[in-house]
Amino acid sequence: MDRPDNVLEIRGLVKDYASVRAVNEVSFDVRRNTVHCLVGENGAGKSTLIKILTGAVGRSGGRILLNGREYAPRSPREARQRGISTLFQELNVVDQLTVAENLSLGREDTTLGFLRRTDKVQRMVGVMNSLEPSIDPRQRVSTLSVAQKQIVEIAKAVAAESEILIMDEPTAAISEGEIARLFAIVKRLRERNVTVIYISHRLDEIFELGDAVTVMRDGRHVATRPLAEVKDRAELIRMMLGKAVFEGYQARPAGSREVVLQVKGLSNRKLQDVSFEVRRGEIVGFYGLVGAGKTELARAIYGADPHRGEVLFQGVPLPRRPDQVIEAGIALVPEERRSQGLFTILTVRGNVPVMNMARISRHGFIRAGEERRATREAIRRLRIACSGPEKEAAKLSGGNQQKVVFAKCLFADAQLLLLDEPTRGIDVGAKSEIYAIIRRLAEEGKSILVFSSELPEILSLCDRIHLLYDGAIKGTLENGAGVDSQEVMHVVTGGR
Amino acid sequence: MDTAAVDQGSVQVGPAAGRLSNESFITFFMIAVLIGLFGMACAFVPNFFLPRNVLNLLTNYWYIIILGIGVTFLLVTGNFDMSVGGNVALTGVVAAWACQAAAASPNPLAVGLGLPYGVAVALALCCAVGVGAVNAFFIVRLRVPSIIVTLGTMMLSRGLAQVITRGAQRNTSLPEVFGVIGNTFLPGTPVKVAVLIMVALVAVASVVEKATVSGRRTYLIGANAEAARLSGLKVGQHVARLYLLSGLLAGITGILLSSEFKAGVSGRASGYEFDALVITLLGGVSISGGFGSVLGMFVGAIILSVVTSAATGLLLSPDWQFTLKGVVTFLAILAQRFALDRRNG
Repeated sequence: MDRPDNVLEIRGLVKDYASVRAVNEVSFDVRRNTVHCLVGENGAGKSTLIKILTGAVGRSGGRILLNGREYAPRSPREARQRGISTLFQELNVVDQLTVAENLSLGREDTTLGFLRRTDKVQRMVGVMNSLEPSIDPRQRVSTLSVAQKQIVEIAKAVAAESEILIMDEPTAAISEGEIARLFAIVKRLRERNVTVIYISHRLDEIFELGDAVTVMRDGRHVATRPLAEVKDRAELIRMMLGKAVFEGYQARPAGSREVVLQVKGLSNRKLQDVSFEVRRGEIVGFYGLVGAGKTELARAIYGADPHRGEVLFQGVPLPRRPDQVIEAGIALVPEERRSQGLFTILTVRGNVPVMNMARISRHGFIRAGEERRATREAIRRLRIACSGPEKEAAKLSGGNQQKVVFAKCLFADAQLLLLDEPTRGIDVGAKSEIYAIIRRLAEEGKSILVFSSELPEILSLCDRIHLLYDGAIKGTLENGAGVDSQEVMHVVTGGR
Repeated sequence: MDTAAVDQGSVQVGPAAGRLSNESFITFFMIAVLIGLFGMACAFVPNFFLPRNVLNLLTNYWYIIILGIGVTFLLVTGNFDMSVGGNVALTGVVAAWACQAAAASPNPLAVGLGLPYGVAVALALCCAVGVGAVNAFFIVRLRVPSIIVTLGTMMLSRGLAQVITRGAQRNTSLPEVFGVIGNTFLPGTPVKVAVLIMVALVAVASVVEKATVSGRRTYLIGANAEAARLSGLKVGQHVARLYLLSGLLAGITGILLSSEFKAGVSGRASGYEFDALVITLLGGVSISGGFGSVLGMFVGAIILSVVTSAATGLLLSPDWQFTLKGVVTFLAILAQRFALDRRNG
């Protein structure tokens, strides 16, 4: 059979979600038996592209050719049958079964539904042992490390004669030593006629492993090059960032020098020795890519997750339970609006006062008039577009829902706000409204911590920026004309 | 005029502000179902409309309704309490045992602790709240699913009642006072004091539910427990208190029922936990929490009452009662879901 040099050809691929174009006219080729890397900031469109390739979502336009033939999978199952397997971050193994059972799962030989003993399992175990001899096929998968589970999945894909293996951030959850072992296996896959599409935020890995790299930005294809032609990290970062478009940062008059929050040596499962200070009226940003520890840091300060180390708020140690932290004067806008921030089945009136019920009650009884008045006030102040206090929160747009979550925090009369991805998934108009709210709050003397994986957001809002990588602060810079976004990207992708 | 509407041009077009909330809608819907069923029963069952019968319909299930208050609050937070039936039996048995004369007797089931009635009642209520505390400990502290824990304490409490009564009942050598509260009627009426207690409890519970911070917390926890925690609610503490309350209500029911029969019977109140759950669901409480009301639960109880007494009136064999109850419950809850979905598009 004639096999073209390019195992995959993507032509003018488009994916539209309700209001955003997540993948915009993307075209590039993947050469057979190479490791092809895919990079881009969060939101660049990598994940959507992968979902289309694996059949998880449909496309809105364009073509994909697999071995020169039209490829349009309607389900992940069909994608696998056509030879495209995926190693997701959430591994697809069954903990309670043995390694051998996992390898043959879904591909068992059966007679009338009964398992038949064939040499198929032996063949699969053989494949796995050739990749990694140390795993015993009779072992239960629950006893394996994450890295070993990954190897079981890779072996499964290889044994099924997959032509393409997509790996989505495979090193995010494994240790240094295991990474080296994984890389050795990935390099050997080329000899087995497997093409790897490799996604990672860690740019050093790309240079170590990759044959070619495709850079995406804002849903568009920026470039596809052999890695031999990419000079260094800086060049790759330049391609990823392009000319970042953001509202300019306006330096604000330095407020009081009074330190409001002191964090010293904060550590836990995901955080390593984080220390910093925040002054009154300051907006401090924490920038890092997915998994860098932003959410963990916000939750640790808030008392929602356990931690070691010292946190002083207005000079006194901060308690370690959300209810007490709120009482001390700190409020959190959580990462997941619908599951953590909002009571979607309740009305706007039901949501706004929850963080400070004392303000609308007397002797434990709710003062209904006071509650309605406070809700109207919040609607007016934050310009929440809704028909009134009795509107169900579920029926508001994403931006207005987020404003309701802000309203909750403001009603708690917080002096310090922790904002975790404050504008995730909301449209541009609502975004700039929220930015205006954040700036206004800072002017009123509130201190604000912004945790975000969007660099333009951080650059347009924050007075000072801490760069997070792997749960630790790797750099700190004062915002202003001199900030080099490439330098920032260098740090948060693990560069030294 | 709504200030928000003046303030910005882009107000979303929504329903009129005077529209009923979904919860009131469901309560009215179930009242309509009740009236429909009642009308049908009046048409087919002789003498159904007599005031005496109507009064019975409203008061028959006082004990299920008292239990339903605790079950409703808990279900609104997304938790079950299946232990209330067993708890009623245990409380009744403990009250009787504590009250029985301590004098030696050839019949071991006639020998009790010889405590004064007031102390016996207090002891029994402590037991009932204790069962609630066990529920709370496992569910809140150890995070075991509530359905598992309360099915366990359901059997545990009934089991203890059986041990204390050797599988039967304690009805001898009880003081006269033991039978008073359960058999006293309001002067000049056929209405028992127990019914009055039920009405008072429903009224208080409805106020607590709608007008207090504590009632609001119950809904917030059911609507989104994680958001509630991150909004500073003491979720565990609140749910624990509701289990203690549910235990106390089961205790009150147990005291009243044992007094009515002047006996502590270990087999009493079997299946009441299911009846309490059924009327709660009939009343529109969502099985996934965050939605429902005590008043709705009350309407649900009356629906159940109409259906069972109509069946009796039609001379339907008692064997069929359970089946009929099942069918009506199922249909009513389906109708409810259907109406709510239609309404919300």
